Amino acid sequence: MRDEHITGMLENAPLAELSEGELEAVHAHTALCAECLRAYEAARVSSLLLRESAAAEVEPSPFFQTRVLAALRERRAREEEVPALSRLWRAAGALVSSMAVTVVALAALTFTVPVTPTTTETPDATAFDPYSEEAVLVAQDETGDAVIDYDQVFATIYDTSGAGVDDGQNR
Amino acid sequence: MERASDLELARLARGGDESAFAEIMRRYGPRVFRVASRFFRQRERVEEAAQDVFLKAFTELDAYEGRGSLEGWLTRIATTTCLNLLRRAKRRPELTLSDLTEDESAWLDTQTAGAALERHKAVERSVVAADLAERVLDTLSPDDRLVLTLVDGEELAVKEVAEMTGWSESKVKVQAFRARRRMRAAVEKLLAFERKTPGESLGSAR
Repeated sequence: MRDEHITGMLENAPLAELSEGELEAVHAHTALCAECLRAYEAARVSSLLLRESAAAEVEPSPFFQTRVLAALRERRAREEEVPALSRLWRAAGALVSSMAVTVVALAALTFTVPVTPTTTETPDATAFDPYSEEAVLVAQDETGDAVIDYDQVFATIYDTSGAGVDDGQNR
Repeated sequence: MERASDLELARLARGGDESAFAEIMRRYGPRVFRVASRFFRQRERVEEAAQDVFLKAFTELDAYEGRGSLEGWLTRIATTTCLNLLRRAKRRPELTLSDLTEDESAWLDTQTAGAALERHKAVERSVVAADLAERVLDTLSPDDRLVLTLVDGEELAVKEVAEMTGWSESKVKVQAFRARRRMRAAVEKLLAFERKTPGESLGSAR
């Protein structure tokens, strides 16, 4: 027993609960083992500190009850404020809700409706424009009408030269 | 109101009777303060904790059915509330000799040398020791602190501590075993410093 370290014994139970036999074994071993002596001293001081700590008491101050009751009333008042606020909220609820829905709908439209892609106009080889310069010249050739100059062609296309040209042609 | 039973007081307080709740505080305030004192040393913190306990108890009065004593029920609430408050507080990682005051260092001197601390009266010695205990306990986890204070400090039975905390008895035993080891290590470190520099500390240099 004298050769067995006693640190386990110090940790198993409070020091005050060690039996006389156990204390004798502790003293016998610590006389030979410096490490266990340090551990025993620390355990003894710990035990003293804990007992002093347990003896320290704080009594309720004379105003303690008053303070707690005031805190309780304050808490109740806060809890009662909540229903009043909720009534106000309900009264304004329809307006606020409709505004919120409108905002959400607008936001949804803004962000979710797909933007129509801007198509780059590429010349289509198959498309036939009857008012193009070429088409007009070809038409002139095919009908065997009198040869017209470019001014007349443009006038035909854009109809900007006034009725005189057309009149002259149609007559 | 003073003659009303605990169950009657609880029923009245549940219904909003302030005088009934005041009577509960009058009866069990000292008990709640005693529990809170195990966790905190400064009066302000003890009072704040005790106030939290009673406010919580008030909101949970519906849960008290009178099966156990009101004192036991309040003690359990006090223990868990204080434990949670302590868990939220930041604890000191380590305590070194330089953190101690002159009186605390001197107290340690007398413990290691076995000499009497003549310059202090017994009451003062107790205050110094309690302050030092607080500093050492501050370095431990809240669970370690609780179990050591209750089992080793107040010498409560494992069963009583299990009832107070809601832990199993085996958990109380294992926690106490480990906590003793950790506290011993913290104190051993302080004593080792004390041996190296007997009577010297930052506190005495101040």
